[in-house]
Amino acid sequence: MGPKQKGGGQKQKGNAAEEVEETLQAVVLADTFETRFEPFTLDKPRCLLPLANTPLIEYTLEFLANAGVEEVFLYGGAHSDQLEKYINASKWRALSSPFRQLRFLKSTSTSVGDVMRDLDGKHLITGDFILVSGDVISNLPIEGALTKHRLRRATDKNAIMTIVLREAGRKHRTKSTSISPVFVIDPTKDRCLHYEEIDERAEDDQPTRLNIDTDIILSHAELDIRQDLIDCSIDICTPDVLSLWSDSFDYQSPRKHFLYGVLKDYELNGKTLHTYIITENYAARVRNLKAYDAVSKDIISRWTYPLCPDTNLLPGHTYDLRKGSLYQEQGVTLARSCVVGRRTVIGTGTSIGDRTTVHNTVLGRHCKIGKNVKLDGAYIWDHVVIGDGSDVRGAIVADGVVVGKKCTVAPGALLSYGVKIADGVTVPSGQRITKALRDGMDVASDPKVVGAGGEGYEFVPGDEDDEDEDAASEASSGLVYRMPNLSLSSASISTLSSELSEGSWPRSGRSSFSSGDEEQDNFYHEASASAFDMLRDDNAADVVVLELVSMRMTANASDQAMRRAVVVSFMKRIQQLMEGGKGAGEAVHDVFSKYREVVDRCCLLDRNKEAKKDQVDLLLLLQQDLVHRHKGDTILLFTAKELYELELVDEEAYELWWRDERSTESEEMRTVRAQAQQFVDWLADAEEEESSEEEEDESEED
Amino acid sequence: MPSTSLALTPGLASFLKSLKTNPIDTSIENLISLLKRRQIRHSRSCATATAYLLLRVISACRTSDPVKLIERVQSVGRRLVAAQAREMVVGNIVRRVLGLIRDEAEDDRDAEFALSEAGSESQPQTPRALDDTSFPLDRDSPSMRPDGDRSSSRPPLTSMFSLLSHPEPEASLPSTPGSASPGGRGPGQGSKDVRAEVLEGINEIIDELGQVDDQIAAYALDHIHSNEIILTHTSSTTVQKFLLKAAAKRKFTVIHAESFPNNHEATHATVSGTASSEDELMSVESFQKPLIALGITVILIPDSAVFALMSRVNKVILGTHSVLANGGLIAAAGTRVIARAAKVHQTPVVVVSGVYKLSPVYPFDFDSLIEYGDASKVLSYEDGDLVDKIEVQNPLYDYVPAELVDLYITNLGGHAPSYLYRIVSDHYRMEDISF
Repeated sequence: MGPKQKGGGQKQKGNAAEEVEETLQAVVLADTFETRFEPFTLDKPRCLLPLANTPLIEYTLEFLANAGVEEVFLYGGAHSDQLEKYINASKWRALSSPFRQLRFLKSTSTSVGDVMRDLDGKHLITGDFILVSGDVISNLPIEGALTKHRLRRATDKNAIMTIVLREAGRKHRTKSTSISPVFVIDPTKDRCLHYEEIDERAEDDQPTRLNIDTDIILSHAELDIRQDLIDCSIDICTPDVLSLWSDSFDYQSPRKHFLYGVLKDYELNGKTLHTYIITENYAARVRNLKAYDAVSKDIISRWTYPLCPDTNLLPGHTYDLRKGSLYQEQGVTLARSCVVGRRTVIGTGTSIGDRTTVHNTVLGRHCKIGKNVKLDGAYIWDHVVIGDGSDVRGAIVADGVVVGKKCTVAPGALLSYGVKIADGVTVPSGQRITKALRDGMDVASDPKVVGAGGEGYEFVPGDEDDEDEDAASEASSGLVYRMPNLSLSSASISTLSSELSEGSWPRSGRSSFSSGDEEQDNFYHEASASAFDMLRDDNAADVVVLELVSMRMTANASDQAMRRAVVVSFMKRIQQLMEGGKGAGEAVHDVFSKYREVVDRCCLLDRNKEAKKDQVDLLLLLQQDLVHRHKGDTILLFTAKELYELELVDEEAYELWWRDERSTESEEMRTVRAQAQQFVDWLADAEEEESSEEEEDESEED
Repeated sequence: MPSTSLALTPGLASFLKSLKTNPIDTSIENLISLLKRRQIRHSRSCATATAYLLLRVISACRTSDPVKLIERVQSVGRRLVAAQAREMVVGNIVRRVLGLIRDEAEDDRDAEFALSEAGSESQPQTPRALDDTSFPLDRDSPSMRPDGDRSSSRPPLTSMFSLLSHPEPEASLPSTPGSASPGGRGPGQGSKDVRAEVLEGINEIIDELGQVDDQIAAYALDHIHSNEIILTHTSSTTVQKFLLKAAAKRKFTVIHAESFPNNHEATHATVSGTASSEDELMSVESFQKPLIALGITVILIPDSAVFALMSRVNKVILGTHSVLANGGLIAAAGTRVIARAAKVHQTPVVVVSGVYKLSPVYPFDFDSLIEYGDASKVLSYEDGDLVDKIEVQNPLYDYVPAELVDLYITNLGGHAPSYLYRIVSDHYRMEDISF
């Protein structure tokens, strides 16, 4: 009995009240680990940047409150202390907050993937939850999507996620212009079958391609390939999503990696992802500065109603809507001869001087705009002073900036917090000026940029491919804000995974051509890294086994590769423990006794066979690995002993290993095994004794 | 499978449910944010929510000192009105409650006066009445009865009355739940009554909100005659009930303008009877039969056809969002066009509205009373080019000046627009108009 209309929902609500009410949880990713809002994000967390004079996060929380969410987990990233302070002082913490619980979670994550894995480890999620990033603006009642999701889930446990998408035609200001996501959807089941991001900026002679699996085309009668959707990153997820994130340690971004990867691996995991395409209501993400501009316009033109300035989301705001989409707060001082045009927002305490014209502009609180100033399409935040006769168009001017007299700020210029521009300076288009500390150091002001007596220096983003991106953005939009990076900043990729592969995109298309060796190699890298992660996180042995076995099945890897992966991860862990101050023996004992099962089930498959090939191989691998490690010889000794005590390796295997020529092929190998000599000797003695005892026994019996 | 549909989207129902359990401040904040987010938006829903909230506010007040009660209600009221100034019914309900308190305080004061005459000094309370508020907030009768000679003659008179009437409120005491706490002795007993009386008064307001449509509908047969052609607009339940009542006895034709783009879906549903109305209360209360079920011919027309058809229409019946003190209306967008067309054709325009929608506010700047809604209802957001280049405005309401309206039918009967000032002064006290 799915609700057909709102009115019908009423009665059901009554019935449902008797059932166990499932609390709706939401996870807000306050930081999406991108650098698109630099230089502003050098000083402030991105979700506190004002959008039409209201911090971004307010819109997101408002959306969640509208959706009836009761528990919110907020993940802070950069500047999370500022964010925490803000949230603690906000109405969302008050007794009257619509959220029963609002938890601020700090993490040292460097990517969305890390956050999700961290969340999985915390076991906070009890049921279906909404995953949004901290920059979503939407007036969508989530009810419909949620109902569909739950219905689908009730019939099919594998439907783990519903992605909310807004239809937006072919060309749209709110859509990203440089890379556009392409969804391949089975419209009969709303199932998303394939996802890819297409680089729209590709040259003409090199057309962009969409690689769809033939299986998808063959097995579905109907397919929609859609590029007209705004991905507002509102996902309704089941807890399974988190475990999928955890299973795939190299997924960093929720779309490019996770969505793409999970869809690719459908055969393996059997999980299906679904879409919910909305044609009414507003939903968008402020994903870059261009979107910032577009969403600001949408808000001012009331596409986001009721999330408009005159709703006064923040306590203390007193915006009023006047004719011509002019939102004005109380306490604005306007000179008699100034012209305030359409689509303008003016905060309290702002004064505008004589003969100044203001159009399409958002002015924050307590700004002082001088005489004869021209403002058009500018975003001016709080406490900004703009001197007489200046001209600011299409720029973003952050808090506390002082622009001198007769300055020109060209479109696309970004003036970050506290910058001072001296009189008569022209800030060229697209220039970014900041005062932020660089690597904790004060940077001297650059008089070439800000003029004599000004403060600030030009901010140069780290990426080299920036030049052409700017050019592309200039071509594609009126506002010259920087386009989103195609690749995420490389800093967000954890050291382990960057060790493995240079590109973070899981290349399934390529993997079919690639040689078996490469695949094995890949598997070994992946498996060892993930095993190491799990050891470090103290996961239970059976979990590790499961993970490794499944990875092995996936990659169709050989036993040897598997053993190698286990050995490397174990040794790494042991070494880590030793660095942490433990003795070699203790570390070895800790790891092996806890994870005996792993070694048993993953490495030693020929336990009962006569030839102890696997065991010997294991010892050899151990030896090889320990060659490079600090105190390798000691570890080898203890490991050998431990393996023996745990009855993982038999005496015969030690003998065979010792005699194996591979174990003595180089100088290093010999030095490493030097210490183990005593153990092998002891073993041999014991064996002799044993055998002699046995003989004695036998003889006694006789 | 009800659990699947249980996305607790906040609204009036969830608010009323939470009202019982939540602490009072939370409830106030709750309502404020619901109003801000437009999750409670119809006049009646707003009025109901406000009345229930004030009921809670007053029953949670420890004091039964009317001055403190008035202050409390005023402060709550100001916040609610600030949250959504365009929902004028919120202010109306607050004013009604304030008026109630003042009335009771007055009675009470008179009673006290009688006691004080008998020897006790209860006067020290009076000076307190004059603090902090900008207008005279005294419980003295003079300012309330602006006419005639005051003060000197009245107290003895009223004290006589109250001596007689005093036991009465006491008798009604047990029935009100809020006044459970005992502890009235001497003058305290009198002031405890104030609270109980006020609570009872608010309950009456709530009852009124529930019955208002039926009361208005009772006048239907006086205004709708056989074989008339009636034009109406929007999916207002008040209008629907009004027409239904007449339809039970008479045959007539209804022309229904669809009120695109903000209300056309609900209008279609009302006409075809496929859904109970959007009004949250109604869907719980009763399932409404559509007019067509009673054999009435209903013609659904686009708004643009109103003028063309007006010449055939005998009467225009309109619902409204709120009624202003000068007799003007704030009603769903499109109403003014209809009223204007009716004027041209000399067709009588009848407005049906509960008294609770009647606001003492004078529309000096009626532009500010009009709310602008979601632009995407007018122009689909998918159309990127247009969205970028065209500014779209979607006013939700129209201001209809008083001269375009011929008759108001409220739950008290029919009134000419020029007479509304009288009803305003009956329902609201002068000192509460700008509380």
